[in-house]
Amino acid sequence: MSTMTPRERVLAAMRMEEMDRPPVAVFTQSATIGQMEATGVFWPAAHSDAKLMAKLGAAQAEVLGFEAVRAPFCLTAEAERLGAKVDPGKQDRTPMLKEHPFVMNPMEGVYDEPKIMDAQEFLKGGRPAACLEAISILKKQYGDKYPIIAGNTGPFTLAGHMVNTENLVFAILMEPDEVVKWIDAVNPICQAYSQALVDAGADIVQMSEPSASTDLLSPDMFDDYAGKYIKDSLAAIDGGYSVLHICGDTYSLLDNMIGTGVTALSIEEKVDPAKAVEKVAGRASLVGNVGVVHPLLQGTPDDCFKHGQIVAKAGFNVVSPGCGLSALIPNDNLKALVKAVKG
Amino acid sequence: MSAEMDALIEIVVKGKIKEAKDATQKCLDAGNSPQDIIFTALAGAMEIVGEKYAAKEYFLPQVLLSANTLYQGLNLVLPMLPAGGGAGAGTVVLGVVEGDVHDIGKNIVKAMVTGTGATVIDMGKDVPIKDFVAKAKETKAKIIAESTLMTPTLAGMKEMEKILKEEGLKGQIVTMVGGGATSKEFADQIGADGWTYDAVAASKMATEFLKH
Repeated sequence: MSTMTPRERVLAAMRMEEMDRPPVAVFTQSATIGQMEATGVFWPAAHSDAKLMAKLGAAQAEVLGFEAVRAPFCLTAEAERLGAKVDPGKQDRTPMLKEHPFVMNPMEGVYDEPKIMDAQEFLKGGRPAACLEAISILKKQYGDKYPIIAGNTGPFTLAGHMVNTENLVFAILMEPDEVVKWIDAVNPICQAYSQALVDAGADIVQMSEPSASTDLLSPDMFDDYAGKYIKDSLAAIDGGYSVLHICGDTYSLLDNMIGTGVTALSIEEKVDPAKAVEKVAGRASLVGNVGVVHPLLQGTPDDCFKHGQIVAKAGFNVVSPGCGLSALIPNDNLKALVKAVKG
Repeated sequence: MSAEMDALIEIVVKGKIKEAKDATQKCLDAGNSPQDIIFTALAGAMEIVGEKYAAKEYFLPQVLLSANTLYQGLNLVLPMLPAGGGAGAGTVVLGVVEGDVHDIGKNIVKAMVTGTGATVIDMGKDVPIKDFVAKAKETKAKIIAESTLMTPTLAGMKEMEKILKEEGLKGQIVTMVGGGATSKEFADQIGADGWTYDAVAASKMATEFLKH
């Protein structure tokens, strides 16, 4: 077993095979200042230059010893390509959406039509094209040793980026047909992008759908406005494994997440790891759920080591941070998490 | 309580936006004061909405619907209050700190705290720390409530405590922090006066701070 490459180990974890230990890998946003300093590649340049993105995306493995490489580092590439204004952020701050390109105003009854580019056009330019190129660079340089993880944005979250998430959520009760119209419009883009990432060399596509968390939607609404679309745009990808990431307390949503048919669920520390393993019961692979703020950002290396062991012992198939890393997390804390699992 | 007030409470809880203005007018016509309508009917309704949200019976869409229904009634009765007196509960300055644009949670807190009868000054999102303090001084606010979902922006909350201390306002203005990246430990560490997990608890805490 010890002769397994990290790639073999992570892909075996996707298939929920029995192993001497789970892999430890960052499935969510992986870059930190420590990795930027070690590689000489910094945000915001790495968000749009494919070579830089690949170099920084490999740093979780090359600098810290995690067992995967991953790109990109934010959830704004798709929205920007579709016309949203994005502030590129700073060295320690991810890009932010500044303006939504379309209007959905349930109080005034104003609803823009979803006139967006088609999926094939979408893939040809902007940062999505840079991300595809970064994935193919990673595949060429690291594909034998490490699994290649590509991150993208879920359909409900992307629709929210187009028209303002709060208004989209509000419109579920005010004008549900308008909400459906938008998700119908963006989902073919999500689907084409997920498949293109696999075709470019990704072994795993990890789609984040934070706007469909239980802080915003009920589990029934999740099925109607996110889950049934994710079946097509993530679970149906050909030639790669699919991972659905949702933030917050997802305990009451686990069945719905499994219902999308994805390979694996990536969840946050707000769910007790042992309870998550018990409830999922082998119906999907489980990725997570070491807390990003505590212990990784605010705790000591010792705290991180202990949390890593707890998650591994609970039976998670992949030990990973529960959400995107804060760029400010110290190297020592991340190395302690790696050590807790790899020994 | 009168039948008109009961009807208004039900309308806000159920989010019947189009009926809220008429129902509020009917409360006034029946002889209820604007203060009573705010503190009894509207505040009572938002408390029920908060309980349903905490119990996961309501989710964000229902809360947004009730909040917008609340504002319909509030817009009618607020201008009738004595000038400058507000509803009397005190003023809260709230916003998302500079560097972050995630404002849904802040907007729920706004609805809940507005529902208690307090005057809420919404600074919006991506708000410089100095602007919070200036607005709080200008409006004699008792509370600055700040939120962030992100981690780099936590530093702004620390700066808030520093500025308030330097200006001798710490204690006179109390700080409440919230949002996904924050925690009780973090709030204690930077010296903030309060932290809550969600909007329901935030509105209860704000009510307590405003009493003293």
